[in-house]
Amino acid sequence: MACAQVPLDEQQVTEPGPLGKEQTLPALHPARKEERCFVPYKSPPEDGSPAEVEEFLERAKFITEDLEWLLALPHDKFWCQVVFDESLQRCLDSYLHLAPRGLDLSALPSSPAVADMQRSVHRTVFLTFLRMATHKESKDNFITPAVFGEIIYDNFLFDIPKILDLCVLFGKGNSQLLHKMIENIFTQQPSYYSDLDETVPTVLQVFDTILDKCGLYCEGATAMEPMKLSAHKQPTAMTMSQQELVDLILYLCDSTTTIHAFLDIFPAACSGFHSNGFLSRLTSFYETAVPDLEKALRKRNFDDKGLQEDLWKRLSHSCRKMVETAHLLLHHTCLQPILEGGENMLAFAEELLSHFTSFLTEKRFLTDYDEQFPIADDVSLLQQALPVIDETRTSYLLQGVESAWDSVGRQKPQ
Amino acid sequence: MSPPRLTGALRSFSTVSKKEDFTEQLNDLKTKRLKRRELFAREGLTWQKIVHFCSEHQDKAKQQAASQELKSLLLAAKQIVGTEHGQEAIESAAIFLFETFHNKDHVGTEETRAIKQMFGPFPSSAAEASCSCVAQLVASLGESRVEDFIQTQSSRHNPQRGSTFGRNIAFSYDCYTLDPLEDLPCSGIHEEKVSLDF
Repeated sequence: MACAQVPLDEQQVTEPGPLGKEQTLPALHPARKEERCFVPYKSPPEDGSPAEVEEFLERAKFITEDLEWLLALPHDKFWCQVVFDESLQRCLDSYLHLAPRGLDLSALPSSPAVADMQRSVHRTVFLTFLRMATHKESKDNFITPAVFGEIIYDNFLFDIPKILDLCVLFGKGNSQLLHKMIENIFTQQPSYYSDLDETVPTVLQVFDTILDKCGLYCEGATAMEPMKLSAHKQPTAMTMSQQELVDLILYLCDSTTTIHAFLDIFPAACSGFHSNGFLSRLTSFYETAVPDLEKALRKRNFDDKGLQEDLWKRLSHSCRKMVETAHLLLHHTCLQPILEGGENMLAFAEELLSHFTSFLTEKRFLTDYDEQFPIADDVSLLQQALPVIDETRTSYLLQGVESAWDSVGRQKPQ
Repeated sequence: MSPPRLTGALRSFSTVSKKEDFTEQLNDLKTKRLKRRELFAREGLTWQKIVHFCSEHQDKAKQQAASQELKSLLLAAKQIVGTEHGQEAIESAAIFLFETFHNKDHVGTEETRAIKQMFGPFPSSAAEASCSCVAQLVASLGESRVEDFIQTQSSRHNPQRGSTFGRNIAFSYDCYTLDPLEDLPCSGIHEEKVSLDF
């Protein structure tokens, strides 16, 4: 047993070695890891032949049993296992990769036994990540914060894709716990902010890929490279295969839900997204892709009307998430600092107005945004906080919003 | 196959995560079963202890019967674990069967699953036979005495560990669901305005 009141990373333990002779080792040492042989997770079988169901249940039972064993280990043994057992990391990673999301096409398990087992795995995986994100379990069981930051980063116990997976898998009902976990991870290891900065362009690339697959002109992606001569032959949302269209909508739905879940749970990440020009790319993507995809879903001939209805809902859900993401970004990077008061209120107000003004050209996005988050309300807040705001400018903006509603032929809700 | 995901793209195209090879590992469940058997064998209860326990509290005649049942249990264990395994593995399997069936009167789904998760596919007749042997042994010894014996001898039933992390945490199983802005209009097709202004 390791000694109390000393951080785990400084503790030494004396234990019998493999040959029975006592040996003194750092408390965190690979020799202290137990050979447990965690198995990787596989998602529940979709149609569920009895053999597949049986295999899922067996595998899931092993995972639950092993993770429960892990969670019952003392602090020092837990960390030895987490840091040095690659089979454990593969098991956890495979769950994040393959666990069904609530939004997947076939999210419902085929039998109650499968559903129960899936729930058990779901809970134990979350608790394992929660313990891995906790550097201080009690006054006796803790790791020096800086060393904790190094351990989780250098061993890839957490990385940006994993954090996003955690948010989309567990965020709906555990947002407060997840917020604390992610906040602690970023606080103890600020390198995650740099990683986030590096990740945003790849997130934007996802939107470019969708535009590209729809054969739509994509400013961000193609401005830097010459257009291929064969570009005109590219399929569009109307002509691509139905499976490709399904995959595209699922991809969009997953991406927008994941980004929104992450920013909602960890608003401190908003500034990283904002500084990488995420907002303007999001709105122009919305303006270009949404009408095109909507048209394809309406016009294409679907044998399965249920699928058509489902895809429409997914596209509409994606629209909501994009609008809500835009609002989160504006709220946390501009509006919140204004409402809190402070030195740069005018600069933040200027930025907010300039974003709203830039929306005027993205009429479809603007009306959807205004429907969910009336711009007039934010402008009114702005005028109360900063009476010096140029009224001509705000009037121009609000008139622009009104005419956007007219130009898309929609009635503004009262 | 999992549907396309944002995080899949980030893992493939960004440099912020470890590149993992998730190609299917063949026989991982078989390897796991072997590991579980190995761990089970270290759990405290030994075949010698069971043999001693089954004979110490009985008169001579019953001892002979018990000895016969124990032999039959070993035979059934051999059929379940496979003939290629040594005596140690067979005895360990017999211990497992003794623990599994000591408070059961038939081979139910749960027991079948537990045996399969430890040894893989097995002949059901061997499970029936072992269940019947254990029932005979328990009948002559008394259920509560057997229960006490297992509780004291097996570390699995008497864990020496502290409380489990997260036991008191209220976990929510809620997950994100579709939250569309609007439903597809009933017709499914909007008539597009066709411009006649050529």
